[in-house]
Order: sequence, then C-alpha cells, then structure tokens
Amino acid sequence: TAGNKILHFGACRVSMSMTEIRAGFTAIKANIQARDPIRTLSILSYPHSLHKVNASDRCCITRHLFDFYVDKVFKHCKTEDSYVNRKISSIANSFLSTKRKLGQCHEQNQCVCGQESTEKFKQILANYEGLNVTSAAMKSLGELDILLDWME
Amino acid sequence: SGELYCSLLNPRNVRFESINMKNVLHWSAPEGTGNGVLYKVKYSVYGVGKWIRKPECKNINRTWCDLSSETSDYEEQYYASVKAFLNGMFSDWVETTRFNPLTDTKIDPPMVSVSSTDKSISIILTAPEKWKRSPEEESVSLLQVYPGLQYNVSLFNKKTKKRWFFSTSNHTLVVPWLEPETAYCVSAQIHITTPILDSGFSKEYCIATLKDK
Repeated sequence: TAGNKILHFGACRVSMSMTEIRAGFTAIKANIQARDPIRTLSILSYPHSLHKVNASDRCCITRHLFDFYVDKVFKHCKTEDSYVNRKISSIANSFLSTKRKLGQCHEQNQCVCGQESTEKFKQILANYEGLNVTSAAMKSLGELDILLDWME
Repeated sequence: SGELYCSLLNPRNVRFESINMKNVLHWSAPEGTGNGVLYKVKYSVYGVGKWIRKPECKNINRTWCDLSSETSDYEEQYYASVKAFLNGMFSDWVETTRFNPLTDTKIDPPMVSVSSTDKSISIILTAPEKWKRSPEEESVSLLQVYPGLQYNVSLFNKKTKKRWFFSTSNHTLVVPWLEPETAYCVSAQIHITTPILDSGFSKEYCIATLKDK
C-alpha cells in the first residue's frame, strides 16, 4: 500500500506503513511531548544515541524496541483526549504487525542479537524503569520520532 | 491590598523557525511592552541535563536568535528558552516545544534549469543545501540528509494550456515528443516521503522548443 516501506535487515525484510505512522505521530507529537516535563533524560538516546548501534545489531535492536513499544509503552499511554487515543492505537496496530514480522525473522535466525544490542536494550529498559510507568511510557511515546528517524 | 507587581510578563510564541536546517529561535515581546525590553537565550539538547547560555543573544533587544550552529546535529533534538527583562523586572524562562531539526525544518524549492531542442525539454533539478556555518565549510545537499528525496515537476504548455506532472528521484528529466516552436513553463517541488516534508513549487521557468528540423 502507499507509504509502505521495506526495511532491510540482511535476510530479514519487513514491510512497514512508515508514512501512516509518521503522520499519526506528527498529529499528536506536541500534545504527547508536552506531557513529558523531563528534559534531562532520554529513554532511547541515553547515554548513547541509537545511531551508535552497529549495523549488524540493527535487526535485533529494532525487534526489541517494537516489543518494548507494544508491551510497555502504548498500553500505558491513555489520555483524556479521544483524538490522541485514536492516533496512539492506530500507531500501536501498525507496530503490532511489524513486531510479528520481526518475530518471524527471529525464529528463522535472521535477527541475531549481538552483545552490543543486548547491552543497549538493557540500558533502554533501565532508563524506562527509572521513572514511574506512566511517565516512562509517555516519554517513550514522545521519542517515537527518534526511533523512526534512526530506522530510516 | 495593593500588591506590588514586580515580575515582567512572559515573552510569547517562543518557537524555532527553520528553513533548510537554518534554525532560528523567534519570539514576540511580552504583551503591552514597548521598546527597552532586553532578552537572554539558553538552549539544551534533549536528554542531556544542561542548559547552555548563548552569549551572542544575551542582553539583546531583537526578538530572534540564530541557533543554527548549536542545533546542527540533526540526530539530536533540542529545547530553547527565552527570558525578558526591563528596569530590574524580569519574566519567567519560556521554552519552545521539542525541536527535531530533521522533521521540523522547512525545505526550499529546488533550483531548476531548462534547455530545449525542437521536440524535447531537458530539466536539471538541484536540491537546496543544508545550512552551513561559513561559505568555506563543505556543502551538504539535502539529498544526503533525506535519501528518499524526490522531485515533482510540472510542465505547462502555454499554447494548449495543458499541464503535466512528473515525479522523479533523478536530478535530470528529459520530456520528449513536445511540439516545436511552442512555449513551455516548468516548475518543480521537493517531495520527501519519510519524514513527510514538501517544499513549495519553484517559480516557473519558461522556454520555447526550437523550430522543427
């Protein structure tokens, strides 16, 4: 479909509705980021940017991050604004289908985890667990463009 | 009781205005204040704990501050903040929303150059360059920043008033099978699919095809 993008991770190829996700996030970005008052910590970028991750580890980190967003972020991001909630659930659905495809790659040993990606993901979880669940989830959602920019 | 009102109203509409990643902080003066208000500016990298003062924008009376140099790493995101002061009174620090240079910049139209034969028009398209600190610094085309950059090209036949649209990721486009001795006008736009960014259309460049050989 229009706006789908094929992500290449070696033998693992995953199609993702990137334009739709981007549009959804752009529509709620100011609203979500305004709910995150903590400027001094980033879930995804502390202490190192995702851009420092080795190419060989990209698939594993991406798979972990999609699991992270589906299992630990979207479900804790309910707001009082139904429009924002609809956009969040639309993004969540797109993430869910990509998460499944990445899972299949993993089962076929096409998404191997190296030391670096394991360490990086541990750090992301530590950053997340350093805050209360709602703040951590809202901050993570506000950083979705960091993930999308890195993936592209 | 007549409470003495000592603080100054806040600067308003504090935001980044960015074109081709030239990132300038803008704001409006506090309501009801005339001349004489001075400002200072600080900025921070999102996720890093420090606010950094911008010396060139300390005690300024203008309502903008160029932070292009400080925000040139487009893999980072930023906040900036402004404080106003006047006759010993001062406002709060007022912050921008989170600024992502990659997705929050505006893109200028491409440069367009055209040439013609009797039955075709050749169009050369050039994407704008990313802002750079000085003319000596190496140029970076926005094509390198946005690998998915494409061009939408409009070709208008001034005689028949027909218009065609083309989309290409190449920087040259040759349109064949045109009518000799006819005036055509070309205009082009940059289209980036992800992140979603479009420039405006360039001005029109008109050229006539040559006499039929």
